[in-house]
Amino acid sequence: MTTPRFLQIHTLHAYSAALLNRDDTGLAKRLPYGGKMRTRVSSQCLKRHWRWAEGAHDLHAIPGAEKAVRSRDIVSRSVIAPLREAFDGEVLDAIEGEFQKAVYGEKATSSRQPLLLGYPEVAYLRKQAEAIAREYPSDAKAAGEAAAAFAKEARANFKQIREQTALPGGLTAALFGRMVTSDPEANIDAAIHVAHAFTVHEEETESDYFSVVDDLRGEDEDAGAAHIGDAELTSGLFYGYVVVDVPGLVSNLTGAEASAWETAERDMAAQVVEHLVHLIATVSPGAKLGSTAPYAYAQAMLVEAGDRQPRSLAGAYRKACRPLVADALERMRDHLAALDGAYGNGEARCAMSLEPVELPETQIVALPELASWAGNAVLNGKAA
Amino acid sequence: MMPRHLVLTLEAPLMAFGGVTVDNYGTIRDFPAASMLTGLIANALGLRREDRQAHQRLQDRLVFAARHERPAGRVADFQTAKLEASDRGWTTRGAPEGRAGGAGTYLGPHLRYRDYHADAALTVVLRLEPADEAPTLDDLADALLRPARPLFIGRKPCLPSRPLIAPDPAASFIETQTVGEALETIPRHNKDALRALWPAGEGGTTRTDRALDLADERNWSSGLHGGTRRVCEGTIQPAKDDG
Repeated sequence: MTTPRFLQIHTLHAYSAALLNRDDTGLAKRLPYGGKMRTRVSSQCLKRHWRWAEGAHDLHAIPGAEKAVRSRDIVSRSVIAPLREAFDGEVLDAIEGEFQKAVYGEKATSSRQPLLLGYPEVAYLRKQAEAIAREYPSDAKAAGEAAAAFAKEARANFKQIREQTALPGGLTAALFGRMVTSDPEANIDAAIHVAHAFTVHEEETESDYFSVVDDLRGEDEDAGAAHIGDAELTSGLFYGYVVVDVPGLVSNLTGAEASAWETAERDMAAQVVEHLVHLIATVSPGAKLGSTAPYAYAQAMLVEAGDRQPRSLAGAYRKACRPLVADALERMRDHLAALDGAYGNGEARCAMSLEPVELPETQIVALPELASWAGNAVLNGKAA
Repeated sequence: MMPRHLVLTLEAPLMAFGGVTVDNYGTIRDFPAASMLTGLIANALGLRREDRQAHQRLQDRLVFAARHERPAGRVADFQTAKLEASDRGWTTRGAPEGRAGGAGTYLGPHLRYRDYHADAALTVVLRLEPADEAPTLDDLADALLRPARPLFIGRKPCLPSRPLIAPDPAASFIETQTVGEALETIPRHNKDALRALWPAGEGGTTRTDRALDLADERNWSSGLHGGTRRVCEGTIQPAKDDG
């Protein structure tokens, strides 16, 4: 049984004859590792595809998210309630009313917008409310007027808060972060950490020479191609690694402090994690969709839940391995066993695989079960 | 009494010891900056970005030396980002912040180049002065074993491929007069000459190849790097009886 503060998601994906991610010269991104050059896919590329993916598990389609967020009375519960002990009730009521209008706009009472206020927003609002309550400790009318004046002065700021935190956009910011301004207190740190994926074997690359023929040209006209060019194509079995900072994700989604994640509401965080596991397994980071069809589901996926320092299993592939899933899985097994031997096993593990596999102390299940195993770890605050 | 030091291993396929960013080029230096290690430790301890004084105090107390365990490669990552003139964000200053630049600035995507160390492995030895102030070196070791957030080495995607602290607690600490001496004492995995960096006055017997005034400290209240400190770089030779 572990406390799943961190979920570590390891994947093996195979792509053949694709150009998943290239640099400014048009060639595949690369990584020299363990003395052999590998093909690489950057974390930016991976994140972008997961963020924009459309389908049953896309991040904008968390069932009930809008309703849950809409009904969450964050101004009363998270901004004002913590001040109740120290300040006069009527003063706080007056401030609360004005803050509701400031945050949700004039329609605060009739149809509240679904805003995903995270910890930075809650902390900022509480600080402002506290300052007003401190200035007018016994004069509710004056406190209400001061709150209204503050809301008016910061009108553009509040409008911006609404735009940034409105669903669905607010949801992807909770996962992948938001760093728009120079103000660290207003930015959201990503709760999903993504490593660059790289091939477990030495690069396998081919310069694909192609010509484009003009089909409409008559037989009696000049016979050559309309265009000739080349593009690099690579094949690879990629190791991918993602860490979910569970307290960070809960904080971004609920406005609670990260350290209080175990008592915060975690339904949405659990659903987000479940969707994320599906997305990571099934969404391709591919480019050149029409000419290379770079679609692949994960060959294998291992999820670990625990509270020790997350570490990738990249070391399993530092010595380049054969480009075979069975070999890569064997390396993963041996590396995990070596880590367990040296550090003890502190993580709960669950995995799925297309090929028969035995990993140390790991239950093997199908993808939907693996996704719910990860989601349940978040929901229950424990994993086994 | 001999000072006690904490021993860390930094290893990952990609790491970034950031240097001075010039325009859209994110350069790297050979060794981690004092500010980077401060941020790494602060992250493990669970400090928030706005805890400026706590960051400053950690950096002020930090004494460290670093050793490359093997030659590292380099990768220049090319990134594009679509920025809009209308991008805005709310701030705790009460008014939203926008982007500057004329319409031409936003015609194409923003192009960025970020350098990374590839396949590097480093040993870092550090202590905090004074030793009895909180957080102590033991607090740090605990926090690194079970950090408040996932750790990364320089940039977010640089996720470590091994625990930073050794499995054997006895191997996580070393007592020597200086951090430089500690680096010379810690067992090595090969017979190569290993490149190292230590603060002036904190060396062992290794000859200084070059000394320089390094601007690797951040002023955590302004958020800018400034000032310099004197550091030495040298090459630790294998002992005669090694291997």
